[in-house]
Amino acid sequence: MDPESAKALAAGICMAVGSIGPALGLGMLISKALESIARQPEVSGEIRTTMFIGIGVTEAVALYAFVIALILIFVA
Amino acid sequence: MGDQTTATVTRSRRRAVLLGCLLAVAALAFVLAIIPGGKRAEVEITREFDPEVIVTLPTVGPFDLSITKPVVYLWIAVAVIAVVALAVNRSLNLRPGRFQLTIETLYELTRDGIVGSVMKSGAETWFPYVASVFVFILVSNLLGLVPLPLAEHHQFGFYAATANLFVTLTLALFTVVFTHYAGVRKNGPLTYLKNWAPASAPPVLKQLIWLIHAVSEAFRLVSLAVRLFANMLAGHAILAVFFAMALVFQNYLVALVLQGGSVFIYMFEIFVAFIQAFIFAILSAVYIGGALDQEH
Repeated sequence: MDPESAKALAAGICMAVGSIGPALGLGMLISKALESIARQPEVSGEIRTTMFIGIGVTEAVALYAFVIALILIFVA
Repeated sequence: MGDQTTATVTRSRRRAVLLGCLLAVAALAFVLAIIPGGKRAEVEITREFDPEVIVTLPTVGPFDLSITKPVVYLWIAVAVIAVVALAVNRSLNLRPGRFQLTIETLYELTRDGIVGSVMKSGAETWFPYVASVFVFILVSNLLGLVPLPLAEHHQFGFYAATANLFVTLTLALFTVVFTHYAGVRKNGPLTYLKNWAPASAPPVLKQLIWLIHAVSEAFRLVSLAVRLFANMLAGHAILAVFFAMALVFQNYLVALVLQGGSVFIYMFEIFVAFIQAFIFAILSAVYIGGALDQEH
């Protein structure tokens, strides 16, 4: 397999497999936040803030995979 | 047939009109899909992110001091913030108008929502830094969604200063340096480093916990920088793809659908700009607050 197609294949697999974890994590996070808001609506402001922090941190993991895929395609 | 009520007649007429409209739209879509499209164009998306040199200045030592596109965008962000801040400062009223109300809302969001809700001690000391980082990243992100004539050959183009790894690395460096500075200034360097592991841990486990904490602290710089950079880069790449995809498909129906899609993705990018600035600021506050109260 020549290097070009190997790089393209690696980038695709990296992005695909690397998004599974963050997607599952985000779903769990937001669903728990929803449940907590439904249980105790008066703290929904704090819950929403913490949820957004959690979303930012979890989505960053998917973006690490994205950056590696970009490096594979454009730099390596 | 004679005993059909008025309501049923109106309902069936309404249904007929609706069906007629749907058929007309489907016919229009079909016609748009089959007429031959325009010329195909090649679009290279990665060229949007090249730091293009605008004014070439001499190179001093290893530093090339020429003014590039990210530099100009950073200056524009600073100019926007300065102009807005001075304008609001000039006419402060006890009963705020709309403009002052917006700035006050932003101020209260940062003071209560970001710093007040996260930092237990040192909130007043570190509020200026966190607020500056928040507003600067917010303005830079939003400026990346405004087309400015700074692309090559003075065309209009979209570019965000924060879509450059060096810019975000600098901002993350500020946060990390301030974290260690706050911790060292409060507790002294040795105590600060010793507090990375809880005091009540058995000897080998304590070293292991310290090592893990040290690695995670070192990773904070990378994670802060890469999170902002990759979010802005991916957002702009998707925007460029949506805007330019109509040139690659030579089809009018696809172009029409892409117009709507572009609007939605643009709105999502505005949302992402706010969220990323907020996350950077609140994580900075969390890190600095964590370094300030280590005993918990």
